[in-house]
Amino acid sequence: MASYVLKRFTGMIVVLFVVATIVFVIVRIAPGDPAAVMLGPDATPSDIAALRDRLGLNQPLLVQFGVYLGQILTGDLGDSIFLNMPVLTALGQRAEPTFFLTLFSILIATVIALPIGILSAYHRGSLFDQASTTLAMFAASVPSFWLALILIQVFAVRLGWFPVAGYGGPDTTLLERLHHLVLPAVTLGVVSSALILRFTRASMLDVLDDDYIRTARSKGMAETPVILKHAFKNALIPILTVIGITAALLISGAIVTETVFGLPGVGNLVVSAVMRRDYPVIQGALLVVAALYVLINFAIDMLYLVIDPRVRF
Amino acid sequence: MLKTLARSCLAATMAFGGLAASSMAVMAQDKPGGIITVATIGEPNTLDPMAATGDLLGMVTQHFLETLYTFDKEWNVTPLLAADMPEISDDGKIVTIVLREGIKFHNGKTMTSDDVVASLERWLKIASRGQLVADKVEKVEAVDINTVKISLSAPFGPLPALLAFNNSAAVILPKETLAEPLTEFIGTGPFMLKERRPDQYIQLVSFPDYKPLNGDADGFGGRREALLEEVRFVPVPDANTRVEGAVAGQYDFAELLPVESYDRLTGQTEPMLTESFGWPMFIMNTKQGVMTDQDMRKAVQSLQNSDDLMLAAFGEERFFKVDGAMYPEGYVWRNEAGVEAYNQGDVEQAESLAEKAGYDGEPIRILTSRQYEFHYKMAQVLDAYLKSAGLKSQLDVVDWATLVQRRADPALWDIFITHSPFLPDPALIAPLPASYPGWWSTPEKEKLLTALNTETDLEKRQAIWSDIQGLIYEQAPFYKVGDFAALAAKSPKVEGFEASPWPYFWNVSIKQ
Amino acid sequence: MAVSVAARSTRTAGIAKILRERKPLALGAALLLIIVVLCVFAPLFAPYDPNKLSIANRLIAPGADHLFGTDEFGRDVFARAIYAGRTSLMIGAAATIFASVIGIALGLVAGFFRRTDVVIARVIDAMMAFPDILLAIALVAALGPSAATVIVALGIVYTPRLARIVRASTFVIRELPYVEAARALGVPTWRILYRHVLRNLLSVIMVQATFIFAYAMLAEASLTFLGVGVSPDIPTWGTMISAGRQYVGQADWMTVFPGLAIILSVMSLQLVGDGLRDLLDPRLRKDL
Repeated sequence: MASYVLKRFTGMIVVLFVVATIVFVIVRIAPGDPAAVMLGPDATPSDIAALRDRLGLNQPLLVQFGVYLGQILTGDLGDSIFLNMPVLTALGQRAEPTFFLTLFSILIATVIALPIGILSAYHRGSLFDQASTTLAMFAASVPSFWLALILIQVFAVRLGWFPVAGYGGPDTTLLERLHHLVLPAVTLGVVSSALILRFTRASMLDVLDDDYIRTARSKGMAETPVILKHAFKNALIPILTVIGITAALLISGAIVTETVFGLPGVGNLVVSAVMRRDYPVIQGALLVVAALYVLINFAIDMLYLVIDPRVRF
Repeated sequence: MLKTLARSCLAATMAFGGLAASSMAVMAQDKPGGIITVATIGEPNTLDPMAATGDLLGMVTQHFLETLYTFDKEWNVTPLLAADMPEISDDGKIVTIVLREGIKFHNGKTMTSDDVVASLERWLKIASRGQLVADKVEKVEAVDINTVKISLSAPFGPLPALLAFNNSAAVILPKETLAEPLTEFIGTGPFMLKERRPDQYIQLVSFPDYKPLNGDADGFGGRREALLEEVRFVPVPDANTRVEGAVAGQYDFAELLPVESYDRLTGQTEPMLTESFGWPMFIMNTKQGVMTDQDMRKAVQSLQNSDDLMLAAFGEERFFKVDGAMYPEGYVWRNEAGVEAYNQGDVEQAESLAEKAGYDGEPIRILTSRQYEFHYKMAQVLDAYLKSAGLKSQLDVVDWATLVQRRADPALWDIFITHSPFLPDPALIAPLPASYPGWWSTPEKEKLLTALNTETDLEKRQAIWSDIQGLIYEQAPFYKVGDFAALAAKSPKVEGFEASPWPYFWNVSIKQ
Repeated sequence: MAVSVAARSTRTAGIAKILRERKPLALGAALLLIIVVLCVFAPLFAPYDPNKLSIANRLIAPGADHLFGTDEFGRDVFARAIYAGRTSLMIGAAATIFASVIGIALGLVAGFFRRTDVVIARVIDAMMAFPDILLAIALVAALGPSAATVIVALGIVYTPRLARIVRASTFVIRELPYVEAARALGVPTWRILYRHVLRNLLSVIMVQATFIFAYAMLAEASLTFLGVGVSPDIPTWGTMISAGRQYVGQADWMTVFPGLAIILSVMSLQLVGDGLRDLLDPRLRKDL
């Protein structure tokens, strides 16, 4: 088992390295001179040359890459041009809304999707099953920003049950902040619940068909304990997988949702950074998000080991 | 001797009584209370009004950073940090400004002429409006601790107006805080900066040691009092969200709303319409590209149907006026020179002018942004007009930051869209100097502009301005589209608010 | 001759039978067909010129004259919607083709040539570590927003998905006895890849491509809505929703109809994808 863990770990490190390389390439394929962009239209050629020197832009690409890697390893992601603060600080400030939003969304999505998925699988082919499958497909097809606009219009503007946008001010309590997150979390949750529902249903179907379940049934064990105990536990692995995948999807969805609802999260920061050509922030956000995803997946893999010792690759 | 003693006792009692009465009056005055949340159009990229321009920046910073002068209700220059109007020598080349005494900065320091001299020198060096004056300034020096002298190489009439403007503002900062870039934003204003979280909020709290001018408030001038405990600016780039937030009571004030949302502003808010707020303009690139040819510019000019353009951008006639004069009714600068060329909507004339210019099918690049929705809407209509006259056109829609960057490069655009408020002095109109993108510079115009800047007699300046307006219509460096009203939303709980192009929240209170 | 005619009619009867039995697939295919026909032949179906400004007719509610109402410039929303559909569908299709071609190539190479796999597999994993919209935004920001860069960006984003599946399947097929035999016989690699490997993967690829098409359309709409996609003066469903946002209170038809168009297109693609998967290889049900 130890060698498996080591293998996965080294694999993860390699992937992280490739991630860093990809980000390096993306940020540098932009046409134009980043120093000129940073200094703005009033910059003189000598100012630009000085900044290029300071940022090491005149060095050969490989040297720049080396410096870049060194900086990342020491946690230096550079400074935001627009915000005049280290990128890591900016990301840190924005982490809270995104974190709570993602958590809240997964909660809503799981609470909706898990029971419906299990029930659909159990009553396969019934009207309930068909209806829920169709609904799930519909939910998966909805553009999240469109849904957001409609929810805002109905629940915030017309009914006034929730704030229209924002995350509150400096003196808002945590509970009030969660109130701000309800509509965004529902928006995100609905779209990802579709995925969790389909997957739960599919996994449950497979497991329900399995031999040992049939054996248990034929042995005369009562229905409910059969399902809950055996089926669900075995379906847990793929469900965990999908929750992991959903986490990535949520970060994507969060970008759009945060922008529509004006939440000062990481997603919103990235969009603003793109608008303002704040390359250090774009670079830092890409690195952090991708790294988080890789780490989460690694953690889930390790979790599998705990749940099902039979898993070996 | 008894009489003298009695008289002095009486005098002392009266003095004491007077003192007691006035201090009681001070105590009876309410402590600043309440927080007001203001939804703005976006996040300023700096809080340094010398480093950038922009109405948003000016609006926010004017609360904590002040200039020597400002504007009163009639748009006359009036003293703010200066004690009085500047003394100008007979030859117009020496400008002496006496400062008010006992003005405190937010860090406790008292303002002196050293701070003023250092601030003005920085303004001349880095602020775009300061740079306009810089070549005419020979020296800025402190005469004594409360007096500053500016020596010019030639008279420059608009100087007081430039020192009063809150855009590219000559704010007075403590000498020690001056740096490139500015990191401490210490000023003299009735509010001070508490915290800025970019994209979240800018918190301004009342400054207890503020020394207001005596008398009443008069426009931006006169008495300024921080009646609020805190002013919180919240960037809300989506106009619709600003509207919805105002309606829901989340924002006490929301600026620059789409005028069509007027009827939606009910519930916890009410609409505030400022008529004759400003004018949109199409600026043409006279330096490089297809618009360098005057006939092409006149072709584009003759295509414009302002009735349609303004209707498309503003939705209803109560929100705009179709008027060719650069200043609306009621302004001393209004004149009708050249307005026959306004609002022609004449496709045939455009076609023949384009032919005369030898138009070869090169696409006309329209540069605009969606930060101001009405810009974008007009751009779309302009695009359609150009195509209707058989001209090729291309719409480049970018974000505002990119637009500001691009418009500085003459190779990248042919027409860009912007707007301006009605400025107190036509010399302040942005596209007039040759350094502004568009780069209008013809011998006739330079001669008139210099005359406008050096002449000090109002009547003579009005005549010069009338000539300039005529020249604008003749040479078509830009096209004024019309007059528009601005819509903001204000909570009924907010009291004492006076409408202006750059909303301010001193002398404003909120019912708790 | 009589035999082949009979064979053909049996095939047609076969397809009809399949469609009858698998209702979701039929529904999805029908819906998709309607949408594609409407959009591709937009000039035939559009009752008005989608670009003609008619400011006097702005913001008219849906009715007899204008099926989907008019927008803030008086343009007919239905006409704009089907023309916009052309662009949205085109971008989705182009991104899918891009992702497919590169993805298949990468997957085949990785699956077949062990030594390249070490690198390619890691690159695929790394690329899948980025959330799609994030990667797409970054790419579009780097290359500058235009329809072409959106296509390239989305293509790059979805390449790993296909590559991964093709790679996994190629691993398996590579070890099959007849493939081993072919290699032993000296059959050129490209022929093996083409005749044996690819042919077997066709169903998998088709299913996956259908889903990628769906994701790409949603992604394009999101990108454009955020302002980092296609230029706002090119009508796509995303730009229409973005433009209509300001009028949600007074003219909701401007956002509702393009939104429904996206939903229906994506849904029909998903129905077709699911249906194909069930049809071609029920074993694939477990994969996403």
